[in-house]
Amino acid sequence: MNTFLHISPVTASILVTLLPLFACLAQALIGKKSISGNIALVAIIASTGISLFGVFLPIWNETTTLQKWAWFTIGEYTLEVGILLNNLTALMQLLVCIISLPVHIYSRAYMKSDEGIHRYWMYLSLFCFAMLGLTVSLNLLQLYIFWELVGFASYLLIGFWFTKETAVQANKKAFLVNRIGDIGFLIGIALVYAHCGTLDLSVLFNQTGTQIAIDKNATWVTFAGLAFFLGAMAKSAQFPLHVWLPDAMEGPTSVSSLIHAATMVAAGIFLLCTVFPLFNDTVLLVVCIIGTLTALSAAIFALGQHDIKKILAFSTISQLGFMMVGVGIGAWDAAMFHLTTHAFFKCLLFLCAGAVIHEMTHLKAKAKLDIDPQDLRHLGGLRHFMPKTFICMVVASLSLAGFPFTSGYLSKDSIVITAYEWANHLRGVYVLIPILLTIVSLLTAFYIGRLIFKTFFGDFKYRSYIDEGIIFHEAPSLMLVPMFFLAAGSLFPLFGISLTDYHSAWIMLTLDAGTNYPILAQAHLFIPILLTGGAILSWFMGWRWYVKQKYPLSENNRFVHFAYKQGYLNEFNEHIFVRGTTGLSRILYTFDRYVVDGFTKFFSWLVRQLSVVAYWFDKHIVDGIVNLLAGTMYYIGHLVRHVQNGQLQTYLGFALTIVVLGLLYLIIK
Amino acid sequence: MIESLLFYAFAGLAILSALLLVHIRNIARALFLLFIVLFAMAGLYLFALADFIAITQILVYVGGVLILLIFAFMLSNKELLDDLQPSSKRFISLPNWQAIILALAFLSLMIYSYISWAQHMPKWISQAEAKGRMILPTDNNIKTLGFKFMTQYVLPFEVISVFLMMALIGAAHLSRKESNK
Amino acid sequence: MITLTHFLVVSACIFCIGLYAVLAKRNTIMILVGIELMINAAILNFVAFGKYDKVNYGGQVFAIFAIVLAAAAVAVGLAIILNVYRHFNTINPQNIHELKD
Repeated sequence: MNTFLHISPVTASILVTLLPLFACLAQALIGKKSISGNIALVAIIASTGISLFGVFLPIWNETTTLQKWAWFTIGEYTLEVGILLNNLTALMQLLVCIISLPVHIYSRAYMKSDEGIHRYWMYLSLFCFAMLGLTVSLNLLQLYIFWELVGFASYLLIGFWFTKETAVQANKKAFLVNRIGDIGFLIGIALVYAHCGTLDLSVLFNQTGTQIAIDKNATWVTFAGLAFFLGAMAKSAQFPLHVWLPDAMEGPTSVSSLIHAATMVAAGIFLLCTVFPLFNDTVLLVVCIIGTLTALSAAIFALGQHDIKKILAFSTISQLGFMMVGVGIGAWDAAMFHLTTHAFFKCLLFLCAGAVIHEMTHLKAKAKLDIDPQDLRHLGGLRHFMPKTFICMVVASLSLAGFPFTSGYLSKDSIVITAYEWANHLRGVYVLIPILLTIVSLLTAFYIGRLIFKTFFGDFKYRSYIDEGIIFHEAPSLMLVPMFFLAAGSLFPLFGISLTDYHSAWIMLTLDAGTNYPILAQAHLFIPILLTGGAILSWFMGWRWYVKQKYPLSENNRFVHFAYKQGYLNEFNEHIFVRGTTGLSRILYTFDRYVVDGFTKFFSWLVRQLSVVAYWFDKHIVDGIVNLLAGTMYYIGHLVRHVQNGQLQTYLGFALTIVVLGLLYLIIK
Repeated sequence: MIESLLFYAFAGLAILSALLLVHIRNIARALFLLFIVLFAMAGLYLFALADFIAITQILVYVGGVLILLIFAFMLSNKELLDDLQPSSKRFISLPNWQAIILALAFLSLMIYSYISWAQHMPKWISQAEAKGRMILPTDNNIKTLGFKFMTQYVLPFEVISVFLMMALIGAAHLSRKESNK
Repeated sequence: MITLTHFLVVSACIFCIGLYAVLAKRNTIMILVGIELMINAAILNFVAFGKYDKVNYGGQVFAIFAIVLAAAAVAVGLAIILNVYRHFNTINPQNIHELKD
């Protein structure tokens, strides 16, 4: 199977990981001159090629390979780092490469005239290195290191336009929120190490060799699972730690598409899939509930947004919620499937949005308009000007909304149907989860429909400027090519020949999580119909509301406002955490000032009195003795001092006197 | 007899002018007294049958060193005026009594040890006297010295030549006016 | 008859006069002159002993060497004196007491 120059998959995988790092270092060395991004591009092309032929094809559905090297030894335990290649990691690494490549190409056009572009390529390469390293890490600690690196690269890229106040605030927020999650991850690692004595994923989860028996009902397993989930929650923007992701849209759109839609935020899902065997039922239920809550809340928030990128950001959060539910119900294969398809179409959505924003920014600059180029209210009717972008965006939107013939249809249905089967198996209130997921699906269809209609249909407000001769045209081909590539990836044939049966998709076949609840045949029939029908209905509603201008709700509707303000969650955080912290500090300050300081002052008074006594003793008795001694020494020294008068002749005279005396002694003797 | 008289004359001249040299306060005169001392010393070398050394002494000291000293004295002649100031008329000024005592003590020590040493001289001197291996007034000293320098003492000779050159270059460097400061 | 001791006593006298000059004179040039006197006394000793060494001629050879050394010493010494004069504006050793505590 290994036809690629006979390199072992492990070596190839290391190469895939290190190439972007070399690109990053090279660009750091070259500095401001590296504006073309060719180095980063070549590195990622090579990585993609090697990843596909050298890693993915030999590993996929074939073998699990791993290799480890000792890093350092603490006591008896030798920490080993290494490369773990199995179906999951190989797929993830390939996915990162394949999504990174079009984004790199797209960035060449999108970031062309930016002043800090040399930094941009450097950071992008750094991110690729970290993300690729994360996917194939063998050791949990190694994974954690890359996890942090990914967060750091994301921090750099969100704050890429660091002169913008909002961007700086956003990257700070992202970093802080991610810290919460990182602490969870670290606690999880510590718990696993404390109880299992190893951090090696292959040893822990029986990829090869002996498995360490983990008692699933132990309390620590629950805590460790929750801790890992906390880490994943922050990275994958789960409710209520999702607040950083919408703000992260301050970064360049190409970055948002790569990092904050397709790859980095998926790292949390990937982590959960990796440590899945650790989770017991309690943890899984928590994952499920949080996932559903996230999916629902984010979908509602997306309805009220005006910023085109924020809608997509909430859509991402919502879809990540879906994946969480997938993990929570035990169908992590479905979650990975959705992750893969989502990476394609969400990346495409962002790239399309980027193309629109790009053109709007040009228009704004040329016509000297004072508008926000990302605001939906200023857009409309763009399909006449940007037909190719329009087609790509529609394909991606259909995929997101889950229409047939798209990849999203397969993967989303796989999660929803499995959720129904799971709920049917467990009975009771569990059925709420699939029902909510269905509602979220319909909401998703609606808000993405709203986005399409508001952007590409209706009338363009600024048509008069174009009539005046300001050019407003299709995105450049360097941006269109990656978009077409991703559009092709958003359709069903890439993932399976069957139009409707997600079980026959090749990712599902190979990953196969082996869920143990019965398959509901009728769910497979009704749910796709229900979802598709609902989606079509909601698109039709969107059409009537937004294109035909029959908007039923007033602008200041409380519900709309609630959604626009993202459920007042930021304000809630501001009130509870920021003000709470401030208030607490004020109380502590008062306590400190009157109680602690009072004690201190009393003590200092006491000590001062004591020192007065000690001072007297010191001055008159101790100092007296010392002064007496010193005085004596001083007078003796004063007597001898005249010898050392700096006169060479005197020194010579003394020396000669000694010689004469010595000779006298010799003679007399 | 004449030989002895001449020796004593030269020795007396050397010692007396040296004493006058150290006593006199005018440096210019002192330097000319040094000239006399060096001549007298050269004469003493002749009595030790070292004619070449005597001539070298005159050439090097009188022709080189003394001229150098006079130049240095003139270059730092601010002190000249100080020295011409009338000082105490006493033969020995009080501040120097330690130096005089020290010098006299040293002199007496040396003379005492020479006299006691003369009672039993080293064997090689008496042997040389006995076997007639002494330098005689009829010997051609200059020729022999030339041979010795080029054969037996060639290494020290070369070393001292290089040393002299180094010293002269060093002296020239040291006394150079540092204009770049 | 002039014996070795005659030479030695004369050289001792010259040496001590030089010593006195070094110790007592208030002018650096005179100190240098004192040193020259001491070296001359030494040379006198060299040649006086060299009279008894016909085989090696050591006394006279090293007397020459001593003269050369003395000349070098004078040259360097005078250069130093000039520098000192430039630096302290005096050549009186009593006024040069950087070594003083």
